[in-house]
Formats: sequence, C-alpha cells, structure tokens
Amino acid sequence: MTVPTIADEPRTNPLAQRAEWLGLTAMVVSGVVLMLIGARWVTGPLAVFAAAIMLGAIVTLVITAITGGPEARRKIAPYGLLKPGVLWLALFYLAPLITLLKSSLSTLPSRFAVKAEFDWNFGNYRDAFTDNAPQFGRALLFAAIATVLTILIGYPLAYVIAFRGRKYRSLLLGLIVIPFFTSYLIRTIAWSSLLADSGPIVGFLDLLGLTGPLSTLGIMDNGKLINTPAAVIGGLTYNFLPFMILPIYVSLEKVNPALVDAAQDLYSPSVKAFFRVVFPLTIPGLFAGTLLTFIPAAGDFINQQYLGNPNTSMIGNSIQNQFLVQNNVPLASAMSFVLMITITIGVLIYTKFFGTEELA
Amino acid sequence: MNSRNPRNPRARSMQLSRRQFLVRSGLIGTAGLALPSFLAACGGDDEEDGAATGGDTATGATPGTTAAGGGGQSLLFDNWPAYIDPTEDGATGTVDRFRAATGIDLTYTEGLNDNNEYFAKIQPLLGAGNTIEPDIIAPTYWMAGRIINLGWVDKLPIDEVPNAANLRDDLVNPTWDPTGEFSLPWQTGMTGIAYNLEATGREITSIEDLFDPAFSGKIGMLTEMRDTIGLIMLGLGKDPSTVASFDDVAEAFEKLEQAKAAGQIRQFTGNDYLDDLATGNFAACIGWSGDVLQLGKDNPNVRFVIPEEGGMRWADTMIMPKGAANRSAAAQFMNFVYDPVEQAQLTAWVQYISPVKGTQDEVAKIDPELAENPLLFPDDATNARLRSFASLNDETEVEMDTRFASIVGA
Repeated sequence: MTVPTIADEPRTNPLAQRAEWLGLTAMVVSGVVLMLIGARWVTGPLAVFAAAIMLGAIVTLVITAITGGPEARRKIAPYGLLKPGVLWLALFYLAPLITLLKSSLSTLPSRFAVKAEFDWNFGNYRDAFTDNAPQFGRALLFAAIATVLTILIGYPLAYVIAFRGRKYRSLLLGLIVIPFFTSYLIRTIAWSSLLADSGPIVGFLDLLGLTGPLSTLGIMDNGKLINTPAAVIGGLTYNFLPFMILPIYVSLEKVNPALVDAAQDLYSPSVKAFFRVVFPLTIPGLFAGTLLTFIPAAGDFINQQYLGNPNTSMIGNSIQNQFLVQNNVPLASAMSFVLMITITIGVLIYTKFFGTEELA
Repeated sequence: MNSRNPRNPRARSMQLSRRQFLVRSGLIGTAGLALPSFLAACGGDDEEDGAATGGDTATGATPGTTAAGGGGQSLLFDNWPAYIDPTEDGATGTVDRFRAATGIDLTYTEGLNDNNEYFAKIQPLLGAGNTIEPDIIAPTYWMAGRIINLGWVDKLPIDEVPNAANLRDDLVNPTWDPTGEFSLPWQTGMTGIAYNLEATGREITSIEDLFDPAFSGKIGMLTEMRDTIGLIMLGLGKDPSTVASFDDVAEAFEKLEQAKAAGQIRQFTGNDYLDDLATGNFAACIGWSGDVLQLGKDNPNVRFVIPEEGGMRWADTMIMPKGAANRSAAAQFMNFVYDPVEQAQLTAWVQYISPVKGTQDEVAKIDPELAENPLLFPDDATNARLRSFASLNDETEVEMDTRFASIVGA
C-alpha cells in the first residue's frame, strides 16, 4: 500500500474511495465518544483515549477531504455539515438525558447521601406516578386550556397583523415581542402584584360590581384573583402567547390574498373561504405553535409558584421541589422522564390526528 | 390584488420548505423544550437568590473605613432576610460599624429563605467534601444540629470570642450542639400569628382563627414544618415539645391537610411571607415575631400575637461550614455582635429576642419602651406560654418531612 498523496492520484487513496463510509463512521464514532464522556461513562485515561480516537477520526476525515479530490469531497460534505449539530446534540442533549435516565433508576444509599447508587430501582417510577397523579393531571389540563386560549387570542391577532397590518406589520410584531425582553420571572411576579387583593385590577372589578359574577364563574374566589387556578392558566397563556402568534403569523404571511379573492369569485362566503382556504394553509403554523406552547407550559412551575395556591400545584412544582428542596434526585429524574414520555405520547397522538403529511 | 403581490411566483416554491420548517421546528420543540424547562427549574433558584442578596443590607462600605487595619481580611456571612440593622436614617448598620471598627471586608448576603431549600443547596458541596463560599451561615437550630451531626462544620474559634461569655444561660450547651463548640446563636425568636388588621377586620387571638372560613384562601402558613405543625398542635391542645413518634403529630397533619384541601391556605411560604402580609393578600399567617414587629413599625395594621394556646420558640444559630477560610475574621465578627452595646442596636432594629445577656439594659438606653416589650424580652409569664419543638429521631423526622412535603411542596 502506497502512502496517500495529493489530488492528482485520488484513486490510489483507499479512504477516498469509501468516503461516504468514512464520513458516516467518523460522525458516529465522535458522537458516541462525546456522549460517553459527557455522561461520564468513560473517565480518566480511558476518556483521553476515547477523545484521541475521536480526534483521529475527524483528522482522517479532514485529510481525506483535502487529498481525496472533488468526488470524495462531494461524498463527505453532507456528513461534514451534519457533524457540528450531531456532536452538539450528543454532548448537550443525549449525555444529560442518559445521565438523567441512569439517575432515575438509582437509589440514595442514605438520607443525606450526595451520590445516588445505580441499581435498576424502578420503584422511583412507581413513586413518581402514585405520589403525583393529580399534579400530572393538572399540568396537562392547565397546559391544554392555556394552549386553546393562546390559539383563540393569537390566531385573530396574527390574522389581523398579516392581512390588515400593512406597513405597521413589523411594528405590531415588535410590540408583541418587546414585553418578552424582560425576564420571565419578573413578568410573572409583576402579575402577582397587579392581581393582588388590594391591587388595581381587583379594585376596578369591585367598582364594576363584577366580583360576584366572576366568583360564580370560578375565576375569582373569596375576592381574590391570584392564587386561583384561573390565575395560573392566565399566567401560562400570557407567557406563551408569542410562541403561538409568531408561527401562525409566518404561515398566514405566506398565504396569497389572491386565493381568498378566487374563492369569493367562485361565490364562497368569506367565512367559508377562511375555513376552506386560509385556515388549512396555516395548519403547520398552528401545529408548531401548539407544540411550542403546550410542551413548556406542561413543565412550567413559575406561574403556579407565584400565581397559584397549594391546590393548583403542577408537575413542574413537584419536580422542582424534589430536585431543589428534598434533594431526591432519583425521584425527580423519574418524574421528569414520566413527564417527557407522557408529553411525547401526547404529541404523537396529536400529530396523528392533526399533523400534516410532511411528518410521515 | 395581484398587482400588490409581487412575491407570488416565488412564494409557491418557498411554501413547502416553510411548512416543513415549521413542522420540524415544532418536532424539535418536543425534544428541545421539555428538557430546558427542568434545567430552568434548577436555575430559578439562583435568580431568587440574587434578588435576596440584592437587599438593602448588602451595601458597600463607606469609603475609607476599610483602611482601619484589618490586614485585608474578608468575611462572608449568609443569613436570612431582614435580619440585621441596615445603614439608614442616620444610623450606621452593624455591617458598616463592623467594617469601620475592624477594617475587615464583610460581605453580608441574605441567601436563606427556607432551611430545606438552603440545605439542598449546600448538601452536594459539603457532602462531597468541598467547601462553600460563606464563612458563617445561620440556619435554624434543628438544621444546624443536622449539619453538625453530619460533620459538615468546623469548630468555632471560641477562644478568640471572649464576648461569647455573654451568651444567655438557657442557650449554653443546647440540645442541637451539646458541647457548644460548633454553634453560637444569631437571634432567637417566637412563632405566632401575624395578621393585617385591615384585612381581618378584627383582632386575632387564637390559632383557631387561622381555620376560620371567613378567611378562606387568605391564610399563609410556613414551609418550616416545626413552626406550622407546632402551632397547629398547640391549637389542638397538644405539646410539640414531647413528640416521640408520628402518632403524636398525626392529628395536626390531618388538620393541615383538610385546611389545604378546603382552600383555606393561600400559600405556603418561607421568609417571603412579609409582602403578602403587608399588601393584605394574607389576612393572617404564621409568622416570626421580629419580622412582623419590623413591618409593624411602618404599618400599624400589621400585628404579631402569641396565640392564647401558646407559641413556638426557636433559635437561628451561626455555624462555620467545614473548610471556612476566614476563621479569625469570623471570630472578630462574633465577638463584635456579642458585645451588648453593639447587639442592642441590632436588636432594636430586628426586634427579635437577643441571645446576648445585658442587651435589655443597653436597649433601654436607646428606646426605654422597647426594652419593656415582652415580645423582645419575654418575662416568665410569656416564656411559660412558649414551647420548642422536640428533637426528632431520624425515623419520625423522615416520616414527618415526607408527609409535610407532600402537603406543602407538591
């Protein structure tokens, strides 16, 4: 075997002939190595060795790309482009996920132990379910209601901006986004002072004599607006509204107004034109907005913490409490996994019924 | 219409990719958003911490005072909020007085809001044999006892603290630190009922008032189990100082759980109950004497009462986490605050029960009326109405903690 030389003899380089295979291998090897190091499954000298293998794979790939000629480069390019993303996910997504999974199957050897011991303890999953069923239920219910509310508020808003906004479109979109330059926590705490019992909003409702009707509707309770389920749902709706508006807006903006004209030319009433023509074209945006709203809302704990009461606790609060107050990392990890799986299943079902053909 | 739409031909070709992009970004959202919300759970606490340490007491030293000869020593003390006299209204606070007197660069932070939460923060570090930043922390007595038992503390440099002799007799060699080598109380106080007269419309006298349906959804209780359960036990006519097993507290837990289920309790809080009390969101809540008295100075409607059934007594105590760097500076600080003259200024502001003998006489020189207040200087009759929570064995504590957490935390 001759030493690989420069591009004028690409066929003599065996690696260049299998450039595709090499690109894939290098990507997989480096991904796995980063994941193992990130999850601390290999440590010490072994980790150094693994890192050396990874570097070796990358260097081989680069050398092949340089020496292999245009044909080899064309084959390697897709893997080269994928690689940063794959490595990033391996280190910062897969590795933590594996660590979390491992910790969810561990047991704390003693009450104040710092390190949990891995022993396939599926009991954590049982406890995660049995102790927190109401919290799971509330999280999903509140998130679902908040998502529906964001659609009801966000869709018309996005529609008006997209079709009637004219030159003010950017300004209007900016106005939606600007409040979110402030910290999430601060905005939520601000709501708790606005809605306080002696605050301006309750005072105004009192003045209008709305306290009674609102209590009947279950929105107010004994003269208070915050620390009620309605306040938690309201907070979630407010905080996630832009994540609904923006994707819907992007969808609506791409709808050609001429399509509506065409429908009307064919004697379709405006309402029917909307539901038969415009709405179906915005389903992808609606779909993305739903996921962007529902998923973080179901895991949220800030809104409940500042706007809720002890009977409105959501699974995010339970997880936060187990992680940060009780220091029961195994149980908290198991709860996180159950939540992730629940949401994934929910999303898959949702996709089945509402998703678009591109998902297949 | 068409004339206003020059993007028409291009739009078609872009549309598919845009739709795909949206759908896929949604799917990535599935994966990407679930995890960060848990990570955010870990981050949330730091933000609270930052807010707490930004309090009025962490003020910068007056320029020039640090040159007094502390040899460039520094000291970090992490304490509860509103627990030291600040420099305000012409008075110089303890932090600044100490800096001026010793030249030691004292950083005073307010990172404690709840004992369990604080423990969860320091446990991974101290438990793994690492050090934490503060040289002195002041958890509540039972938590201090736990940390001492775990061996996560250094002995105090008590030889360098001559004023430690001023420690109140009933606090020498306490149950949580039988040899008295590891801890020195910061302040002691009472747990009773705090209420906002404007919101209640009447005086509160009894623990039963916390369960009055008229205050439904307007009652606050503490995440501090020994205070909340202790007070409820007193309301039920039981003695929290003799708890031996979970059976002794079961009734109190049931009462708490029922009140929570009925919507009586607005929120369980740590030291952050004061805002809700001041604004009237809490008509009444379980509170700590000094906090409420401080608030009452500005807002006469906010009152503190030892309920007729009795109140709880506790101490927050200074300990030095293992490996604390600035032992000599810490000793000087403890000596400084255990001087009755200095202590009196602190007590007059925080309005807790001072652990330092001779403070009452010094407070009398500042404010004679305050020196007669039984909430600061309890007489025998007041003391007889107070109970401390029993030292719990491990098994009982775990059972109570678990049950309490399921009511409060989740």
